[in-house]
Amino acid sequence: MGLFDKLAGWLGLKKKEVNVLCLGLDNSGKTTIINQLKPSNAQAQDIVPTIGFSIEKFKTSRDSLSFTVFDMSGQGRYRNLWEHYYKEGQAIIFVIDSSDKLRMVVAKEELDTLFSHPDIKHRRIPILFFANKMDLKEALSSVKVSQLLCLENIKDKPWHICASNAIKGEGLQEGVDWLQDQIRTMRT
Amino acid sequence: MIKKFDKKDEESGSGSNPFQHLEKSAVLQEARIFNETPINPRRCLHILTKIIYLLNQGEHFGTTEATEAFFAMTRLFQSNDQTLRRMCYLTIKEMANISEDVIIVTSSLTKDMTGKEDVYRGPAIRALCRITDTTMLQGIERYMKQAIVDKVPSVSSSALVSSLHMVKMSYDVVKRWVNEAQEAASSDNIMVQYHALGLLYHLRKNDRLAVSKMLNKFTKSGLKSPFAYCMLIRIASKLLEESEGGHDSPLFDFIESCLRNKHEMVVYEAASAIVHMPNCTARELAPAVSVLQLFCSSPKAALRYAAVRTLNKVAMKHPSAVTACNLDLENLITDSNRSIATLAITTLLKTGSESSVDRLMKQISSFVSEISDEFKVVVVQAISALCQKYPRKHSVMMNFLSNMLRDDGGFDYKRAIVDCIISIIEENPESKETGLAHLCEFIEDCEHTVLATKILHLLGKEGPRTPSPSKYIRFIFNRVVLESEAVRAAAVSALAKFGAQNDDLLPSVLVLMHRCMMDSDDEVRDRATFYMNVLQQKQKALNAAYIFNGLSVSVPGLEKSLHQYTLDPAEKPFDMKSVPLATQPITEQKTEIAPVATSKLPEKMAPSRQDIYQEQLSGIPEFQGLGPLFKSSDPVQLTEAETEYVVRCVKHTFAGHLVFQFDCTNTLNDQLLQRVMVQMEPSEAYEVMRYVPAANLPYSQPGSCYTLVRLPEDDPTAVSCTFSCTMKYLVRDCDPNTGEPDDDGYDDEYVLEDLEVTVADHIQKVLKPNFGAAWEEVGDDFEKEETFALSSVRTLDEAVNNIISFLGMQPCERSDKVPENKNSHVLFLGGVFRGGHDVLVRARLALADGVTMQVTVRSTDENAVDVILASVG
Repeated sequence: MGLFDKLAGWLGLKKKEVNVLCLGLDNSGKTTIINQLKPSNAQAQDIVPTIGFSIEKFKTSRDSLSFTVFDMSGQGRYRNLWEHYYKEGQAIIFVIDSSDKLRMVVAKEELDTLFSHPDIKHRRIPILFFANKMDLKEALSSVKVSQLLCLENIKDKPWHICASNAIKGEGLQEGVDWLQDQIRTMRT
Repeated sequence: MIKKFDKKDEESGSGSNPFQHLEKSAVLQEARIFNETPINPRRCLHILTKIIYLLNQGEHFGTTEATEAFFAMTRLFQSNDQTLRRMCYLTIKEMANISEDVIIVTSSLTKDMTGKEDVYRGPAIRALCRITDTTMLQGIERYMKQAIVDKVPSVSSSALVSSLHMVKMSYDVVKRWVNEAQEAASSDNIMVQYHALGLLYHLRKNDRLAVSKMLNKFTKSGLKSPFAYCMLIRIASKLLEESEGGHDSPLFDFIESCLRNKHEMVVYEAASAIVHMPNCTARELAPAVSVLQLFCSSPKAALRYAAVRTLNKVAMKHPSAVTACNLDLENLITDSNRSIATLAITTLLKTGSESSVDRLMKQISSFVSEISDEFKVVVVQAISALCQKYPRKHSVMMNFLSNMLRDDGGFDYKRAIVDCIISIIEENPESKETGLAHLCEFIEDCEHTVLATKILHLLGKEGPRTPSPSKYIRFIFNRVVLESEAVRAAAVSALAKFGAQNDDLLPSVLVLMHRCMMDSDDEVRDRATFYMNVLQQKQKALNAAYIFNGLSVSVPGLEKSLHQYTLDPAEKPFDMKSVPLATQPITEQKTEIAPVATSKLPEKMAPSRQDIYQEQLSGIPEFQGLGPLFKSSDPVQLTEAETEYVVRCVKHTFAGHLVFQFDCTNTLNDQLLQRVMVQMEPSEAYEVMRYVPAANLPYSQPGSCYTLVRLPEDDPTAVSCTFSCTMKYLVRDCDPNTGEPDDDGYDDEYVLEDLEVTVADHIQKVLKPNFGAAWEEVGDDFEKEETFALSSVRTLDEAVNNIISFLGMQPCERSDKVPENKNSHVLFLGGVFRGGHDVLVRARLALADGVTMQVTVRSTDENAVDVILASVG
């Protein structure tokens, strides 16, 4: 971000753009969440497993922030490609399938790898966790999820967890609002 | 900041090519701005262009740097700039094979290809198919099927063409899209229909029945697209050619009906298909030719060119049909397009009558300097064909050719002319003197070493036999003074031949030779010294052996034998007879139509087929100690072409043994053959000594097994024998898909056709350039003569061909050509009998009621003489 851009941002002349990485294991609901956040006329009807990544854009209704989301593929063999995009991520959305207790450790492992990556380690970037699929019977509560992932150990980055149901869109707005606030405080 | 950069870019880009001095590392450095937000489409576009430019210039990108640039580029998918996005597609396609993890863009591309923006969809499909491998194809199959039947033509075409590319790597998946392709084939768009037809054909091309069914369907229903029609015509003519069916089939009717199509392209394609068909009758040809004739007067240059080019190609095959167009072709001679004019004239030369030759030659010479070298070669080829047709016109041609020789031109052009003159000289004894004179003049100022040596060789061969050989000496000796080493050496050899043949010139030649011995080059000095000594002996036999008829052994074989000899020095001197003989070069068997084309042999000394066999056989321990390979026959088919197992046999002759090499191919994909061997039952006293089986013969991988046979020692004249052959093997059934064989198999056998060994297998062809000298050299110690009546033969030509193919010997002195309207002819044959004995045959033929033949055989070995006479009788 050049000085000129910052100035424009202050004066509110320019629309603020934010690059967000959307990470998480496969079948956790990343693409579905992003799809829900898009304006209803641009939403896709059927969601298929992402191969590689896809770029989506949407604006928040409350405020003039424009999100560019890198929706990464969660499948095992593509996870090592995430790191190519760490550098320009200004915020991270990490999605967890809260009904999948078995792979909670896998998610934790990926999270640890993420935090130890040099491009992320020393940056204070906000991380939003969605404990997704809360509508399912066997789903864990967001508190339980944060315990399993040892989120309390994250000291140097602002983070927030909220339970969500991406299919209905419940809980998403709360999370995005938090993210917006964080980004704004970081900017100023 | 941005502005400053832009300015710099423009400055560096001044001049004719803004990308001229690009540095790969600098460009990759610049590519970092892809990571910046917001994206500047204009600058990114410029950098992508630079990257693609570098890639297309052949610049090598390492995997790491390519991958880095590729991932940086993927961020540009954020931008909605249309030009930038399409540039991204191009970059993806270019980098698909050099970068890693290109599949990262799969979802982005599938999004674009299913999106609303039509501009993106086609290119996205093409890019996607480039980065998709077999394992990923299943994932995008659904989208591909949808795209094929999409109503937007560009999307559908892209999907079809991409599918065509993917047929190569995953045939089975693409085959499932046949229904969609079928639907696309009924599209209204001409391109979509063409591409759909192409895909359908390529999916079925291995299945002749399916192809003909498809043709049937489309020829009945009719198509909109002229491109598709052209394709159908090509498929149909290919099918016709393969089936070799008569021309009354519906396929031919279809092609014929296309002559009345409203699109010129289709009409031309149909006409061209018909005239190129083998064995077409005049009646079938007529409509096609008249269509081409019509095109000759078309206002469109492309049509005129197409028509005259097609006529030119088939002029020799169907002269009478093309003659019908002569009037139109005459008009084209003055066409402003020189390519059309040249083709028209050469066509006329091929078909025209003898009387028009002079006029046409004059016409060509008026603009021959204006056309390119390739077309000049076409002209020379036409002239060369013409010389064969009208030998009496040789003086006109010769003048014309010598004029052309004086003009500027490249190597290919000059070589074509020289070859043409040489072939005229060989065809036409009367033209020899003029031809040689022109060639002499040419080498006075010739920059091509290859041509100069070739002409000097010819002068040495032909010069001494002309009435006044002395006039060539000056030209040859000039070369010794003026030229490069290779030419000087060739000139020395040529001089020696004059000295050997003309006794009155010998003293002068010796003087010149003496001067050559002071040359600065080793090779030239060596040759001069050698010839000097040979000539001073004044012995005919020496001259014949060392000056006229050079070595007849194969050079790689000689090299190998000498190497072997030095490794293992023995008391006895090196024996030339142990060296395998050279198989005859193809140049001697000139084809009738295009003598120029035959000269396009590789100039390098490639190891011959026989040298390769020798190498292979010496690697098999069972065949050690058989001595050098004497001769390998051409492969003989022992099965029909389309049977379960295809077997061909190559007969290898050694001094006292025969080795039969059976090249077997298993065409059953559900069988693995093991321990394959061919059992042979000889009819004569031949003894089968050993079988070398092929261990494994999997589906469609050729394998070889061998049989070693000893020739009867007590009766050296028993040269012909018939073997009945049976292939024996162990069959193991296997899974056609995986090739995994069952554990146990069963023995089986397969009866092959009988194999004949004839006298030709015992004689190697050797060309004696000077037959008379060789004849004297061998002498009459073992001469035998006998007279035969060939009652079944009607013409001298037939008799000559029969004798040559039966004895398998090399005709010398061009005696295989029987002059027309002659009742008698003398045929000279040269060869070497198994064991290394020279054999020469002189056959005097006289045509009476049948053909009477008096055969005289000379050899250095009595057995060889007996064998030949016995086998002829």
